[in-house]
This record gives sequence, structure tokens and C-alpha cells, in this order.
Amino acid sequence: MISFTNITKKFKTDFYAQEFVALNNVSFQIPQGSMVGFLGANGAGKTTSLKIIMDFIRPTEGEVRFDKELGLNKFEVNKNIGFLPERPYFYPNLRGEEFLEFMGTLSEVQLQTIRERVKFWGPRFKIDHALKRELKTYSKGMLQRIGFLATILHEPKLIILDEPLSGLDPIGRKELKDVIIEVHKNGKTVFFSSHIVSDIEEICDRVIFLKEGNLVYDGSVQTLMNQNQNNIFECKIVGANLSQLKTNIIKTVELSEGLKVIQVASENKDRLLAELITNQISIVGLDFVRPSLEEIFYQTKGN
Amino acid sequence: MLSLSKIQTIALFTMRDILKSKILLNVFLIGLALMLLTYIAAEFTYGVPERVALDIGLGMLTISSLGIALFMGATLISKEIDSRTVYMIISRPVSRSSFILGKVVGLLAVLVINILLLSTMTLIATSLLGGKIDELVWWAIGFILIESLLLLLVVLFFSLISNTILSIIMSLVLLFLGHAIQDTQSLSFVQERPLLGTLLKIYHLFLPGFYKLNLKDYILYDQSLPFSYLSGSLIYGMAYSFFLIFIIITIFEKKNLD
Repeated sequence: MISFTNITKKFKTDFYAQEFVALNNVSFQIPQGSMVGFLGANGAGKTTSLKIIMDFIRPTEGEVRFDKELGLNKFEVNKNIGFLPERPYFYPNLRGEEFLEFMGTLSEVQLQTIRERVKFWGPRFKIDHALKRELKTYSKGMLQRIGFLATILHEPKLIILDEPLSGLDPIGRKELKDVIIEVHKNGKTVFFSSHIVSDIEEICDRVIFLKEGNLVYDGSVQTLMNQNQNNIFECKIVGANLSQLKTNIIKTVELSEGLKVIQVASENKDRLLAELITNQISIVGLDFVRPSLEEIFYQTKGN
Repeated sequence: MLSLSKIQTIALFTMRDILKSKILLNVFLIGLALMLLTYIAAEFTYGVPERVALDIGLGMLTISSLGIALFMGATLISKEIDSRTVYMIISRPVSRSSFILGKVVGLLAVLVINILLLSTMTLIATSLLGGKIDELVWWAIGFILIESLLLLLVVLFFSLISNTILSIIMSLVLLFLGHAIQDTQSLSFVQERPLLGTLLKIYHLFLPGFYKLNLKDYILYDQSLPFSYLSGSLIYGMAYSFFLIFIIITIFEKKNLD
């Protein structure tokens, strides 16, 4: 749906200051129907990329193209995009329902339709009880939720969210993630940035990694996980003298109540099991150790 | 691409947001202060209390309107960028020009409400004190609105190319110069120095001459003004406003919103 091609963005903070490269020849694509996570530490260039996609700022080099399905000009494209900025703070004196009416009207949705959709989505976002209140009385999480509701009010084909889950408590994050998944299941393409790796691992099928303005990974989450598997098995046993085992053990961790965790390489797994059975050691469980996306991210530091 | 319906929607909600803030309360308090001042001044004035009432009223009307235009105009767009609301709006099928025009029209509507409320109070007070409201008073009230619009556009222009504080300072400087330029040009000090005179003429040619929109002295001294002067000032104010709107839209269309 989006082709982000060879984008470079340089900033100059002051007239006399040296140029700072926020994005360095970055290219990626957002396929239709995908749920893409945009990952990177603070300052990696995620928000800058999103601002370039939305034409809030212009790239120094490169171009952004949208599929014809989204529209042939900027106005048609914008009708099919829902964008939620990071930590939005809306007009404080407007009531929740007024704000949604405002955003819906700007997206050329009929007033009656806006009301119907607010009635449908309000309870799902757990915001229906507060729609008559002024936005200045909303908590951060509530602002995030009403912002997201405003983002999908015109039923866009592509939803772009900048750090939608930041600042939310665990329950709020879970609820919002559930809505993102639901919206995606309804056929929408979702592209969202986050520095919370576990959120992206949980709900995205594709991930784009940025590090210091450079693209370091663009592909499926599963491929990245498979590429970074360390082929280690973990066996849990109860109370045994491990010195009698001859299998090459990588690591042993003692847990409470005599429970021990033994890590062995994949090729030694069968030998270890045979030894444990021979020595009549009680096996509690055997698992393949899968590093989380977060572990991969920190291990490789985005490299 | 300008869209009247989008401008109208943005203007309506901008106006609603501003009116729900404390600004109406401020206008109401200014109105009360105006009535009180008029009453006190009338008690201490011999012979022309109605003229004093009108003078105080138009003066307070000018200060409050220019104050709203200056301070709300300076943050009209920068606040939208800081709070990221602008991103929500222009990511919709709304052009940048429609957005900025909607914001200006919304604030202009607030100025109209302020002027309507305070001028009504002024005219009531003047009438109660036996004063007559001649045609020039209506022109003066209209010109206060145009002067406020002009100042709003000047401060908005500066806010797009600098920061909030600088834009307020530069606009205030232009406002004072714009009121003083005509009198300054006629000073013998200036007339004896041709270079200074030329500089002031150039200034006069390009920068806003706010003095053209100030009729309060003529009203106070009961002087009449020819229709050609009034219509000329009206056209000047409107043309300058359109010129500034054009410049503001051009800058905002090209501005990086980061």
C-alpha cells in the first residue's frame, strides 16, 4: 500500500549547526492486509518516517508512493488513511462526542453514520461513559483511546499509528491491542510504530527495524525469530545429582523445591533424555528455548 | 484545494473551543469594568459624560479585541503543532490552506462576538447618558474589527517564521509603528532629514498603517470624515488582510510541521 523509497531526511537545528541525518536512504514497503510493526529505539527515525509518509514534512531525498487503491491524489489517499499521532492532546474544551463529530465531519462521514459508529465502537474502547465530558478531564489512556476511535471512524483502508500503546497501563494496552487485532481482522492494513518489542511480537506479522536512521531489518517476525534461534533445549528435572550425567550441559539453573533447569544443545537433547531415564531422574518438562523478539533486539542491539 | 465546508467545520469547532475557555468570562468582566468606569467618569465629568463614555468604551473595545487577536493569534497554529492536533486534521482530506483559513475564521468569529458584546454595552451606556450615536461610531466599530483581523494576521505570519514570544513582540512593534508612522513623518526632525523621510516612506509603503483604521480621535472631537477616506481605509484594511492571508497560506503550505 505504501512504497517508501530511498528516503533520506536531514535536519538542521540552527543556521550555523551541522546537518543531522535522521533517515539515511531508507526503503520499505507496507503490503496490503498486513500488520506491520515499526521498531526502533527513541530517536531511530520512526516518527520522522511517519511524518514523511503523511506529508507533514518533506524528505531531503527519495519519494513515498501510495497504491492506486488508496487513491489517485492526496485527498483521495487521505480519505483512506487513519493516522494517530504520538501522545495526542486534543482540543481541551470540546466534549468527547464533539471531537469525534469534528473528526468524522472532516473525513466526510455523515453525522448519522458518525453517531452509529461511535455507538458501536464506544463500548469497545471503553470510552462511551465519558463522551459527554470535556477532553481536558480525560486521562492519558482515555485520550489515546478516543484518538484511536477518531482514527478509524471513517473506516480507512490503512491505519497508521505512532506509538499507540505508549503511556497506557497493562490493561489499557491489552484492550487497545485487542481492538487493533479486531480492526486488522476486518481487512484493514495496520502500520504502527513502537519501542515496546513485545507488543509488536504479539500482534504483528511483519516488522521493520530502524537503528539511528538506518534500516536494519524488514521482513516477517517469524523469519527474524528463526534466524536468531540458538537451538537450545531446556529440560526441567527434580532433585538429582547432575555430576553423574555425561551429556554436555550448557547451563544449569536451580529453582525452588529441588527443581532444576538444564540447557543442552539441540543435538544433545536425545542423549540427555536417555541418560535421565536410565538414571531414573524425574523429568518435569522439555521445551525448545525460543528467544523473544525483545531478546533478539537487545542481543543484536538492532544490528 | 480550498473547501468551504472544511473551512466552516474547522472554524466552527475552533470557535467552540475558544468560547468554552475562560475568554467569554474575560469579555464579560471587561464589560462590567467598562460600565463601572463609564459611570465613574460620567460622575466626574462636567458637560460631556456621554462623550467620555463613548471614548472609554471604544478604547476598551480596541484593547480587548487587539489583546485577543495578539495573544490567541500567536498560539493559533503553534499550539496545534505542539499538541499534534494539526496532524490529526491534515491527515484527513483537508488541505493545509483550508485548515489555516478555518482557524483564522474561527478566531475572527470570536473577535466578532467580543466586539458585538462590548460595543452593545458601550452604545447602551452612551445612549443612557444622552449621547447620540452617529454614523462614524459604526465605522469605528467596524474598523476595530478590521484592525484586530490585521493584527491577528500579522502575529500569525510572525508565529509561522519565529516563536510565540518573538511573534508577539514583533507584532506589537508593528502595531505601535503602524499607529505612529503618519505623525512621525510630519515631524520637523524627520522632514529635515531626507534619508530618514525616505526610509519612513518605504516603511509606510509596505508595512501596515494601522493609523488608517483608528477613528477614535475624530469621534472624540466630533469631526466628520469624508466617505472617500472611510472607504479608502476600509479597502486598504481588507486588501492588506487578503495579502497577508495569501502570504500565510503560502508559508504554511511549504512549512515542515515538525
